[in-house]
Amino acid sequence: MEKLNRRTTLKLMGLGAAFLAAGGRGFAQQAPSADQLVKGKDAKLLVLSQRPIVLETPFDLLASQPERTPKELLYVRNNVDLPGYNTVEGAGLEGWTLEVGGLVDKPFTVEAKELLALPQHEVTMVLQCSGNGRSLYQPRTSGNPWGRGGVGNVTFRGVRLMDLLAAKGAKPTEKALFITAHASRQGNAAEFVRSVPIQALENALLALAMNGEPLPAVHGGPVRLVFPGYFGVNNVKWVVKVEFAEAENTTAEQMPRYRVPTIPNTHLPFLPQEPGSRYPYSFTNSRPNWLVNVNSFVFAPLEGQTVEGPYVRVEGVAFNDGIVPIVSVEVSTNGGRTWHQAALERTGKSYGWVRWRTTLYLRPGEHEVMARAWDAAGRSQPLDGNLAWNERGYEYNGVMRVRFTVA
Amino acid sequence: MRKSWLLPSLAIGLGLLGYLALGQPTLPEGPGKELVLAKCQTCHDIGLVARERLSRERWDAVLDEMALQGLKLTPEERSAILDYLATYLGTTPPPPPPAAPEAKKTGAQVYTNCQGCHGLQGEGNPPLFPPLKGHVAKLLGSEGGRSYLLLVVLYGLQGEIQVEGQVYNQVMPGFAWLSDEDLALVLNHLLSFGAPAGILPYTPEEVKAARATPLTPEAVHALRQRLKLP
Repeated sequence: MEKLNRRTTLKLMGLGAAFLAAGGRGFAQQAPSADQLVKGKDAKLLVLSQRPIVLETPFDLLASQPERTPKELLYVRNNVDLPGYNTVEGAGLEGWTLEVGGLVDKPFTVEAKELLALPQHEVTMVLQCSGNGRSLYQPRTSGNPWGRGGVGNVTFRGVRLMDLLAAKGAKPTEKALFITAHASRQGNAAEFVRSVPIQALENALLALAMNGEPLPAVHGGPVRLVFPGYFGVNNVKWVVKVEFAEAENTTAEQMPRYRVPTIPNTHLPFLPQEPGSRYPYSFTNSRPNWLVNVNSFVFAPLEGQTVEGPYVRVEGVAFNDGIVPIVSVEVSTNGGRTWHQAALERTGKSYGWVRWRTTLYLRPGEHEVMARAWDAAGRSQPLDGNLAWNERGYEYNGVMRVRFTVA
Repeated sequence: MRKSWLLPSLAIGLGLLGYLALGQPTLPEGPGKELVLAKCQTCHDIGLVARERLSRERWDAVLDEMALQGLKLTPEERSAILDYLATYLGTTPPPPPPAAPEAKKTGAQVYTNCQGCHGLQGEGNPPLFPPLKGHVAKLLGSEGGRSYLLLVVLYGLQGEIQVEGQVYNQVMPGFAWLSDEDLALVLNHLLSFGAPAGILPYTPEEVKAARATPLTPEAVHALRQRLKLP
């Protein structure tokens, strides 16, 4: 064998590096793109973290699909990396079992494929990471620096948890105040457990499909427990166990993560904090990120766009927790001094977002438009979202401002 | 024979690893960086940590949270990590990296003046330039050899000489324009080519003293003829 000395080895190493540097964009890019991390995702999604996978939908792409967010574009916020599940293809139901227990008179185990035989139910809902908009908080908070693209409007289809309980003749006991869901730990995955209040049972859905297709594996397929109106984190992916419990579970995803400060033992929306300060999170002085707060986004015009004037179509979406309807969306072009009512696509309660639009008469030049939603419970969005500043940057719903030019 | 592909592929693999490592977002240099990498990279893409800018208090809270997630740290590790994070990933710009202490000149650096003729390792270039390796040891071993070596470097040499049975007759320029310190350094570097035990290292003071009585290259040649070389 020809002897390879150090010099030859170094030369070959240099050759290898040169080959790589020259060899195609795929190699030349330093970090993998979204489609390389998750099979079937749009390559333009922003990679916020590779491990576990966190992908944000660029706002213009989100706005390009105002009806429903397709699986290729939907954001990903995984706390757990389940080996082999980084694809938008559906995961097999075969062999997947779901355990229902805790404070229920008749605990049982069900095969996931049995769920297909039960009545199927569909719900269109906003799926939003509770950290969405986090990067708008000042000073910056810890966590993935979401812009506004940690959100999507999707249609889940599956079996209502209530229907499954009824089919099995099981009933939660009176002591059951919370529903706790556990994600699969296959492949030694980290623990992921979340609890929601028992009243969420009314709409809880064991989702098997999304947007008319098998539930993508990366979004929790084959079975995801979804709670319409609740922030994304509560919609436990790859669910294997549902427990009825007397109290919230005590794992890190329930406390101190995914919580905002509140006055002790109240469920006020939040307790204002000095931005940049620390807070001693406990079960009593904070509440979990449960129900989605009122929010609205401007989908057109987009930031920095130049549009034809003087009549400018302004449109977007608005949503809340679905408990009461969104009753109005207002638009201002003078920094909030006066507001102009936009037309809603529909009225009535909805877990999905409601589209709104209006036409403004604007002179040529630079403009800034703001949008603010109101719901029937009188809830709205703060003009300055920073007043809800919290250490971990959750639940931002400040009024969105978009600057654009009228030609 | 079957293993002939092993080394090239290993080399290319190493090149690839190096290339990829250079391409990843990294943490700023600073004490504690390795510890942070070791502890955080177990679960996180390090980019997630590298882009944070938080106050010491809030990094402290993040560490508390990570402890809940199962991060195991000794109190010393914890404070080292917190110091690193608060300093280099804090709300104020990190301190500039400690200025590298002015690199001390080495004899090898001064020897670059000599290596064009005498070779990188003092191997020489016969028949034009004699080797230093081995020959220097013989010079130093003879009586008066130590001061001759200083003088030949300082003032140069002209005249026919014999080294290892080979005749050389070229002019060697003197290096009096180098500083006393540099000359002492390069002379001591020559000692590394082989010197008998007990030879004292040259000092800048010795060089300075030798400058007091300037010599011509011919005079240095005469000195050399008087050395009892084997």
